Amino acid sequence: MEFWGVMSDALPTLLKGLSYTVLIALASLVLATIIGLFAGLMRISGNVILRSVAAAYINLIRGTPLLIQILFIYFGLPTVFHVNFSPLAAGIFAVSINIGAYLAEVFRAGIESIDRGQMEAGRSLGFSYAVAMRLIILPQAVRRMTPAFINQFIIGIKDTSMLSVIGVAELTMEGQSIYAMNFKSFEILTLVGLMYFIINYALTVASRWVEKKVAVS
Amino acid sequence: MITVKRLSKSFGDHEVLKNISIQVERQEVVCIIGPSGSGKSTLLRCLNLMETPTSGDVWVEGENLLDPRTDINKFRRKMGMVFQQFNLFPHMTALENITLAPTKLNRKSKTESGILARELLKKVGLTDKADAYPRSLSGGQQQRVAIARALAMEPHVMLFDEPTSALDPEMVGEVLQVMRQLAKEGMTMIIVTHEMGFAREVADRVIFMDNGMVVEEGKPGEMFVSPQNERTKLFLSKVL
Repeated sequence: MEFWGVMSDALPTLLKGLSYTVLIALASLVLATIIGLFAGLMRISGNVILRSVAAAYINLIRGTPLLIQILFIYFGLPTVFHVNFSPLAAGIFAVSINIGAYLAEVFRAGIESIDRGQMEAGRSLGFSYAVAMRLIILPQAVRRMTPAFINQFIIGIKDTSMLSVIGVAELTMEGQSIYAMNFKSFEILTLVGLMYFIINYALTVASRWVEKKVAVS
Repeated sequence: MITVKRLSKSFGDHEVLKNISIQVERQEVVCIIGPSGSGKSTLLRCLNLMETPTSGDVWVEGENLLDPRTDINKFRRKMGMVFQQFNLFPHMTALENITLAPTKLNRKSKTESGILARELLKKVGLTDKADAYPRSLSGGQQQRVAIARALAMEPHVMLFDEPTSALDPEMVGEVLQVMRQLAKEGMTMIIVTHEMGFAREVADRVIFMDNGMVVEEGKPGEMFVSPQNERTKLFLSKVL
């Protein structure tokens, strides 16, 4: 069984790549959530400058390919500014600001979907805008946002595969390096694809479960 | 206690309030009546700056709310507000709705505010609904929880914005009963309402507004029996 032999030889390396992928994804998604929350809040702020900055960021990121963003941060920025990112740092940075822009829109939509009376009730009790947002609006918005949020997470996990172009040793990169040597591209890519699929499918199932939970409460 | 001077409010080109001056004394119950679109809700919402007046002054307990140095969040704690649509927080139980502000703003302990909340629930007749979520309560029950929530900050004045307008007819009475009780206890209350019977019975003073202006004000006994202004007469003839 040559097929299984190839698979089991490749597995340790691929699992190492997978763990890298998961690490990058987790770090990026945490950062993207923070970026998305603040950009989303800026987007609905009364301050014209904050609003414009957020809108510019979101439109810029959504209007350009992630691949270009990755290349720009890793190869473009260092030539002008004297910053040198490791491939890993550049990768996490690129994926974070990319997913952050989409999450900003998810946050904005989630917050705007909450009845205006909720903020008014909070303010009438004496809460500041920020505290009312934190205690009253966001807990409700986050529940509604969950499906869109997880959807964006899944896209983010898949997008980390593009980091292979700057040499980040994530799953796709490790796969490529294996079949470059043994030419078993069919077997290796099947296995790589399967690994992405398992993670993302697990997230999809989790998302449905959360959605049901939220619908009940 | 509350003094409004030459207050005007415009939304774009539309002038909703025109040069309004009113005064409310401590422990007074004032009902604001008038046709839809007369500006009565906007006037009420200007009192705690839920709407920002275009011009004029709002004085509460000797301080000018429109002075930029005034901390409006502090003032709102003394001014409870009850909304037409209840606006309870749907992700919290009745008890949590009531304890949120005292715990977070008055730094009361959970136990203290819990005791206060249960007293208030008792007062509005909902002792057994402490752990119920708003969605499982009827409109009348929700509005009574909303009143309890506003009272939890121990306000000096209560503002009611058409508190019974969104209720099924059979639930109006229970909410009015709670308000009647509050009035009896000496709470200062400003009530925008379409409940003429209630206004007549509970109000110390009735303000009739039309087209963004205060047309007439007086004791309910006088205003409902012998209104002076033609517009007041016309309005009352339609609703009484």
